[in-house]
Amino acid sequence: MAKITENTREEVAAIVRDFFAEECEVDKSMINDTTNIIKDLDGDSLMFLELIEIFKKKYNLDIELKVIGKYAVKHPVTTIGQLIDMQMLIIEHENRLLDLDNKN
Amino acid sequence: MHSIKIYVFPAFTDDYSAHPGQIFPGLMERFRSLVEEAAFAIDPHLQSFDFQINNFLQDELRNQFITCLYSCAVSSLLREKFVIPQMSVGFSMGIYAAMVDSGAVSVRAALELIRMAFDSLKEGTLGIHCGMGAIIGLDRKDIEILINQNQLDVEISNQLAPFSFIVSGEYKNIERLLALSKEEGALHTRIFPVTLPYHALLLKSGAQAFAEKIRPIRIGIPANPIISVIDQAVLTTPEALRDELVRNLYHPLNWMATCQRLISQGRCEFIECGPSASLIKNARFVEGDYRFLSFNMAMRQ
Repeated sequence: MAKITENTREEVAAIVRDFFAEECEVDKSMINDTTNIIKDLDGDSLMFLELIEIFKKKYNLDIELKVIGKYAVKHPVTTIGQLIDMQMLIIEHENRLLDLDNKN
Repeated sequence: MHSIKIYVFPAFTDDYSAHPGQIFPGLMERFRSLVEEAAFAIDPHLQSFDFQINNFLQDELRNQFITCLYSCAVSSLLREKFVIPQMSVGFSMGIYAAMVDSGAVSVRAALELIRMAFDSLKEGTLGIHCGMGAIIGLDRKDIEILINQNQLDVEISNQLAPFSFIVSGEYKNIERLLALSKEEGALHTRIFPVTLPYHALLLKSGAQAFAEKIRPIRIGIPANPIISVIDQAVLTTPEALRDELVRNLYHPLNWMATCQRLISQGRCEFIECGPSASLIKNARFVEGDYRFLSFNMAMRQ
């Protein structure tokens, strides 16, 4: 399990913004938490998939893609801010991500 | 360092927003000239094609015609710029454009082949509502379990990446499989705007009829090998290409395995001969020493 520090969110946010800036060929300064991934960046699910792979490798995460898929059905992501929040939850909870819904 | 150049030809186009016709002199003229010839010889409606509204998006036969013509315009420009491939790959119905590019058939013959295939497959599936869809986020085993447990008349007809698949079959079963896949945790699913289950066994009888129809079509020796997306065979003879045209209609493809096989031979440079970068997007999950270039990128090198 990855250790979450106070810098982790900043680190995750930087990776997400760099990734979309490069993939979507837009200036990084144009991407903020309210940027809509599909409408503003023309992003797609394959980009999301690739980003998950990047985080899995970086934080050595034990998480199945379909766990993320099940979570995403109940908690759809449309903006960069929501995506960063979800990545934080993935890093923190890994395969126990769905337990969050049971707790609430 | 020397790299193996490989042209890749798409089958359908759902997005022309990246169409670089205004940027590269000659592309629009060449494409329009091909469309005019095709409209005269094959289908007069092709003249009305409009990039802005992509008016043949829901018309799978004309979509194939236009995609083929566009690919032919792109690859001929690339060759003129001395971006010469060592081999080529036709993704799904992109095989016809690959054969034109390699000189194995004329543009007109390719369009006739496309129409013969479409007509034969339609006749072979008369009365069956068919379709195709995409599932992203599950692996092959997950999808096979869903198909088997629910006894769905659906096949995995192409693997694009470890977690990206295309499925073909009866429409209602495709819809059911996509819904089940979402429940199972797929990140994304979508139905394609097609009415035929390309690359599925349902098309075998139509493919056999197609084999008879294409006997009079002359197929020549390709200038470069064409790689099969079914089994990654290296196709170099007219007979092999003719067989491949028939097999391609009802055998499952494996795009990921094709990329992996090519990359295993050395440093590769794939050039997508189409208006978008749909195949580039899927190739990003293949590991190895390669570059995937759009027409834009290849021309600017």
